[in-house]
Amino acid sequence: MGVNLISYSSQKVKEGKIVKVEAQFDNVIRKFKISGDFFLHPEEVIDDIEKSMIDLKRDVSFDTLVHKIHKIVNDHDARMIGLSPESLALVIREALK
Amino acid sequence: MKWRVSGIETHDAYFNMALDEAISESVREGSSSPTIRFYNWSPNAVSIGYFQSIRDEVNLEVCKELGVDCIRRWTGGGAVYHDFDGEITYSVIAPASMFPKNIIESYGLICGWLVKGLESLGIEAEFKPVNDILVKAKKISGSAQTRRGGILLQHGTLLYGLDLKTMFRVLNVSRQKITDKMIRSAQERVTCVGMHSKRGKKEVYEAIVNAFTEGKDYEYGTWSIDELARTRELSEQKYKSDAWMYLR
Repeated sequence: MGVNLISYSSQKVKEGKIVKVEAQFDNVIRKFKISGDFFLHPEEVIDDIEKSMIDLKRDVSFDTLVHKIHKIVNDHDARMIGLSPESLALVIREALK
Repeated sequence: MKWRVSGIETHDAYFNMALDEAISESVREGSSSPTIRFYNWSPNAVSIGYFQSIRDEVNLEVCKELGVDCIRRWTGGGAVYHDFDGEITYSVIAPASMFPKNIIESYGLICGWLVKGLESLGIEAEFKPVNDILVKAKKISGSAQTRRGGILLQHGTLLYGLDLKTMFRVLNVSRQKITDKMIRSAQERVTCVGMHSKRGKKEVYEAIVNAFTEGKDYEYGTWSIDELARTRELSEQKYKSDAWMYLR
């Protein structure tokens, strides 16, 4: 197992809001936090998105991330305002580089 | 459905946000009518969005020095400096079924009331999705909405005056030195009622109340004993707690 790295990415996404991702990982993601000035209804869905990232490999693909986020959003009939699953996945990929 | 309207009140940040949540619960239970309330914040306060990190957004040391409260909202969106002299805050709390299902449309509907109020003061304003109102392309109002348990809560601020220097001190603006250039840059993006009208704050408030209540069946009301008890409980146990403050 490698050394735990903490990485951080912050972007103003194309839908207009700021999204920040903080990830702690070795070869897989150990801790994960999303923050920013976006809207997500219901808000608590963010916890499910964060949990779904734990134990994913550091080189998880953009498509896999988009698929996972879409599924959680759809399962909860959630609405993202000011960001999208695709934009969030881009910020996550950036943090995992 | 008859609305309950509350005239302007002043509370601290914790009570204000707890009251919005307590009202949401009582409207959901059917024990209270859909509600429109207007309020100020004292002491001055910074509120951050549900998804924001207080350490990222707020200079806690300066807040402590200036006696400015800090609170995490129940709604998303960005950090806001609530200046007692500089703004009027509103909340609209009602069954979501009374509003468009489309969230942007529902922002547009409620922000439209505020736009009408500004127009009655001779200030031409426009709703700018997602959640802003602009005057001459500068932001004069921001709002945030949540929908939980079938209840829509939207609160928002109308800037009456601007204290950009304090705003930049309490908010973490990249922790850089606050420069005149930053102030000028903000002045190019933000405006307030005082820059467009000589009307006093009371007159502005009355214009906003008239616009929010126009065409509605409403009566002035106050909070029930249960709402106040729940507000105190949420204020102390949730909104003042470190667990909530440092949630993210």
